[in-house]
Amino acid sequence: MDFRPLTETERKHLITALRGNAQDGLAVLMDRQTTSFLGTAEEVPDEEVINAIRSVPCHY
Amino acid sequence: MAIRFRELLWELIQAARRRAPKGVEPKPDSVATPQGPIQRVLLTDTVSRTLFGEYAAHRKSPRGTEEIGWDLIGVRQGDAAVVLATLPAGEGRDSSSAHVMFNRAAQGVAGRILRQESRKLRILGVAHTHPGSLRHPSSNDYRGDVDWVAYLRGAEGVFGIGTADAAPNPDAGISWQPAPNVQCLGELCLSWYALGAKDRNYRPLPVELTIGPDLALTLRPVWGELESHAERLDRLARQLNGVRLEVAPGHQKSALAVTVPLPDDGRAIRIELEGKVVRYRLLTPDGALAADLREDRVDVGVFLMLSELAAR
Repeated sequence: MDFRPLTETERKHLITALRGNAQDGLAVLMDRQTTSFLGTAEEVPDEEVINAIRSVPCHY
Repeated sequence: MAIRFRELLWELIQAARRRAPKGVEPKPDSVATPQGPIQRVLLTDTVSRTLFGEYAAHRKSPRGTEEIGWDLIGVRQGDAAVVLATLPAGEGRDSSSAHVMFNRAAQGVAGRILRQESRKLRILGVAHTHPGSLRHPSSNDYRGDVDWVAYLRGAEGVFGIGTADAAPNPDAGISWQPAPNVQCLGELCLSWYALGAKDRNYRPLPVELTIGPDLALTLRPVWGELESHAERLDRLARQLNGVRLEVAPGHQKSALAVTVPLPDDGRAIRIELEGKVVRYRLLTPDGALAADLREDRVDVGVFLMLSELAAR
């Protein structure tokens, strides 16, 4: 088993992804062969977007 | 040579990525770059023309003294919110000189149509106009927006304020930016802001332009049909899998076409909404068959046809 420290960029990406998962529900993606961190899912579910559109508040 | 929608969107995203700050490792397309706060709003030139053009046309219309607005649809890319489409408030809006509430049902269906091509598209924010010279969202705007942005990815939104208070510019016909977050064309101005769910005030947001489409422009010719049938179309899209909505040539004008695929046999129900006319057809591998069905309620019509077909 090989361990290596994360690069600074990798570390920032991972922290941001974990924060996005905790705060915004973004999926954290994992490489299915190496189990390494791949990023976060960019696609947004239909109902999330449509509900946001249908709840735009009145503007003044 | 015609360029396909997906190719166009891909190129736009790549262009926005190239303009993002360097030092971030490239990622595969299916993987999002982690996002920080929105630092700028990037409008395509067509989106910008739509906003200024429809704002100017609105001011000349019978309801020209009322406020007007648009939903802003697009993607997040790096530190930018990239606006790729505008959804109009619609004729069914509730508005006066002091407020505007969009026809949200029609905008919801329009959002579904846009997202048939890319599920990365989402609502980024809202632009609306003020009748006077207040180039900043009002305190009443804040009360609604600060709650609403909590439902957006990143809990942050983009807000544009339109005013018609610019000083005459000798370079008529050419837009200019008196401040990084302000665009002016003729007497019209759009001032841009960002607001997060925990912010106590909006912050000015620099605005930039890039070449690209307004993906919702093709829906403008059928916006009346969208407004007339929005609730029933939305219900259909939620109830049935694979429902597809698109703009198609009609008999007199463009029509809003709804296709409901049937399982297994390659057939589909197709409904064409053109003005007050609702046409039902059965699409088969051998051609289209007109259905003798008079039903203005599109969801009821679809289920009547499904029932008829199931009984055979």
